[in-house]
Amino acid sequence: MTLELQKPRPIWQIMFSTHHTDVGLLYLISSLTFLFLGGSLALGIRAELFLPGSQIIADSMTFNRIFTVHGTTLIFLFIIPFASAVGNYYVPIMVRYKDMAYPKLNAIAFWMIPPAGVLIWLGFADFTWYATPPYSIISAPGPAADMWIFGLKILGISSVLGALNFVVTILKCKHPDMSIGQIPLLAWSFLSSSLIIIVAIPTFAAALLMLLTDRLGVSGFFNPAMGGDPISYAHLFWFTFHPEVYVLVIPAIGMMYEIIPRFSRKPIYSYNSGIFAFVMLSIVGFSSWAHHMYATGMSFTEKTVFMVGTLAAVPASAMHVFNFVATMWNARIRFSTPMMWAVGGIALFFSAGAGGVVNSAMPLDFTTHDTYWVVGHFHLFVMGTIAFGSIGFLYYMFPYVTGRMYNETLGKIHFVLSFIGTVLVFFTQHVLGLYGMPRRIYDYPPIPEWIAMNQIASIGAMIIGISMAVFLANMIHSAGKGKLADTDDPFGLGGKYYYPFEAKNPSH
Amino acid sequence: MSQDNSQNFQRTSPARVGRMLAIMLGVCLIGGIIFFSMWDYWISEPPHVISVMAGDVDHSGPAEATGITITQNLSFLESADFRSLTFNALKDEPGVNPTIEMSVGDKIVFDVVNDGMSFHAFGVTKDTEGFAGIIPGSEIAAPTNPLKPGESGTSEFIAGEEGTYYYICTVPGHRDQGMVGEIVVSGSSGPAVAAAPTGVSHEFELDFIESADFRTLAFNALPGEEGNNPQIIVNSGDEVTITTNNAGMSFHAFGVVSNPDDFNSVIFDSAIAAATNPLKPGESGSTTFTAGAPGTYHYICTVPGHALQGMIGEFIVE
Amino acid sequence: MSGHSNWPEWIYVAVVIALMAWVGAEAWEAERLVEHVPADAKTIIATGQQWFWTFEHEDGTKEIGELHVEVGKAYKFEVVSTDVNHSFNIHDYVVLIDAIPGRVNTVWFAPDKVGEHDIQCREYCGLIHYNMRGTLYVTEPTS
Repeated sequence: MTLELQKPRPIWQIMFSTHHTDVGLLYLISSLTFLFLGGSLALGIRAELFLPGSQIIADSMTFNRIFTVHGTTLIFLFIIPFASAVGNYYVPIMVRYKDMAYPKLNAIAFWMIPPAGVLIWLGFADFTWYATPPYSIISAPGPAADMWIFGLKILGISSVLGALNFVVTILKCKHPDMSIGQIPLLAWSFLSSSLIIIVAIPTFAAALLMLLTDRLGVSGFFNPAMGGDPISYAHLFWFTFHPEVYVLVIPAIGMMYEIIPRFSRKPIYSYNSGIFAFVMLSIVGFSSWAHHMYATGMSFTEKTVFMVGTLAAVPASAMHVFNFVATMWNARIRFSTPMMWAVGGIALFFSAGAGGVVNSAMPLDFTTHDTYWVVGHFHLFVMGTIAFGSIGFLYYMFPYVTGRMYNETLGKIHFVLSFIGTVLVFFTQHVLGLYGMPRRIYDYPPIPEWIAMNQIASIGAMIIGISMAVFLANMIHSAGKGKLADTDDPFGLGGKYYYPFEAKNPSH
Repeated sequence: MSQDNSQNFQRTSPARVGRMLAIMLGVCLIGGIIFFSMWDYWISEPPHVISVMAGDVDHSGPAEATGITITQNLSFLESADFRSLTFNALKDEPGVNPTIEMSVGDKIVFDVVNDGMSFHAFGVTKDTEGFAGIIPGSEIAAPTNPLKPGESGTSEFIAGEEGTYYYICTVPGHRDQGMVGEIVVSGSSGPAVAAAPTGVSHEFELDFIESADFRTLAFNALPGEEGNNPQIIVNSGDEVTITTNNAGMSFHAFGVVSNPDDFNSVIFDSAIAAATNPLKPGESGSTTFTAGAPGTYHYICTVPGHALQGMIGEFIVE
Repeated sequence: MSGHSNWPEWIYVAVVIALMAWVGAEAWEAERLVEHVPADAKTIIATGQQWFWTFEHEDGTKEIGELHVEVGKAYKFEVVSTDVNHSFNIHDYVVLIDAIPGRVNTVWFAPDKVGEHDIQCREYCGLIHYNMRGTLYVTEPTS
């Protein structure tokens, strides 16, 4: 269950292991590495945008490459693998099975991630993480663009293989005495997100292949000069990636379903609502993709249909928020580090959703589309909800994985700094977007309001950077030299609401 | 639920954490070295579809430079509002987007510098619009890996056939915003080779004159008057003697040049004085030389700017 | 697992649904009005290319990087692109529509005050997307 043996275990044994705890650990280390790599790029972006003109980045091509890889890395190489890490570690335990359904496939799915990461990072393409044609076909230089396409293809396959594994493990390998209505909500969240992946990702895989053949000049799917339509790529892309944002958020909400009831020392307010909300979100999430395309020239009817689809998903998300708040109501809450992160995450999730309602309203979207409002909005989701939930869960998992406790004070400092920084950066960016600053720009005209808000955002980003340094130090030091944890009840909660943490690793 | 964990429980040790970190750091360092040293390589090629869309590739390929070598200095310039982009001078100013005249078989060596604040790249094309069809060998940088402000580069262009070529900034849109100049290639029947000395001699006398307001300079007569900037035609191999008198109030010098915009491109050893040691008012000088390969050349005052102000005439060798 | 009454949750969900329905209805109505192009709107063809805007008025006048219009008149933009996706945006008048090569998109506006406003590109289009800007001049009518 833990990192190492007193009798040392060779690293190659972990690397070639197929046991779910080892694969989970590999996913964990890889995703955290990419968190820091992608996060450093973000610091670079914010440092550059501190003032108009060139600060630390010499030209716009470099800047374009940096934000492309920033987005690609954090979504595909941090958030998804981190969720896989948690899933790999806990899903077999939660369904009382000895391992994942296909352990070797599991390991293969992990090992696709480092080569894909290398392809993406070596090339450093410049066409944003959407890779929208026609730019990505006729204007984006290679081989960086082609490497990105191959890297994402590999990651897509990895995701689908992992998702298949989760679905089969949960549905087919769960303990015979356990009904589907008894597995923890964290397991339900993996079931939902895996089902979404299986339905949604193949569309993007097709789009990537078409993009590649278009770049080679062999086909003309999205290239108007060869008879194609760029908007069809947008449809294919967003058909995958709107549900994909639910793939990103649902596991994080699932993680909060572990943390919040436990630290409130109360059962979840409504387990059934949790299941219902996850399933609803997964299904309704497929009906709203073209709200990303309001400005492409769709007809009034099309826009209305997608607006309705978008708004229909809001009650499901709102149900989760209600569930959490109702669980915490009148509870004897223990605000340890994981709980702080989960609660902060819920608050930011609510703000992100509220801002999203503005975007979904058709005419309002024309004010906010492709401005910093959108940047602030989605970062409140990916940073404010997903990263907060993930990091909180990481603190929660720490004693179980390493057998030691992290430093609680540093953990709380990490949270406070991150929360302040996140609010400073992303709330400000909403306002910046209302003032009209477009996305993905290397430089901006010296409008005083823009400069002031960019500076606030950059300061917030530096605060987040400092907090992450604290985090790194805490994790590394505590993994080696932290106080030994009581694995029955590391947080001193009374131990009444746990399920047993038993994982028998055959190599131990 | 509670396990007897004190024996089954295995924790990591500081040494193992340290070793793992060392390995990861090593991987990052090696990766970083590869990464930073090849940063520009990965964005160096346009997608293959561009050449498919451009149709078949290009006319040119004369390969050999059988004529003269012309040096052309160009600099990318932008107007302050960034609306108009040009070479060498701003729009409507003298010397903007200079036209280069050459003969088939001549070679131009371009020395291009980015004096603007934005990014540019360079190439020669025969297309009358757009940025495709760049003739190999003439490109400097590329739109995907452009010249940054202050950077410079060289390239060359050898004219394979008659016609009008265009030197442009190859960054999409820049040609449309003004960064284009013409290269007029005139034909020569057969390779342009200097004939053997014919024994025929010519003598010409040219006076440097200036208008009263010093705005206009010319040889022999002001523009509009008879005899202004006389055209000189000789045969290849003839002996030519040119005597120049400085009838103005300023300093002048003389030379037959291959590129009228480049006062350094003096050919045939025809210089009289030089910008650095010019003829003073009232002074005279003369030069005798043999006319070289056939072509259309120019004689100019080689003091910088004087040719632009009008001290230029045609020197045709047949 | 839920041994307590659920009515707070039902009420909460009902409130959320009502709120979303209201937002949807208001947005639908607003968009319907916004999309109705007045019959007397003058057409301006706005062409986006890497990395500048050009405009062509009905009478054939062309402008590069600048657009002169008159106060109080309605203008309909036909937005096209010659290379990659751009997005034509006059933020102060909430004019926003993508310029997609191979199609013509339409948006209209009627400036109501004399002044100068920024035109910007709001869809990533490469190297100088950040500076693909122009100026809108709203002037008094000449006639």
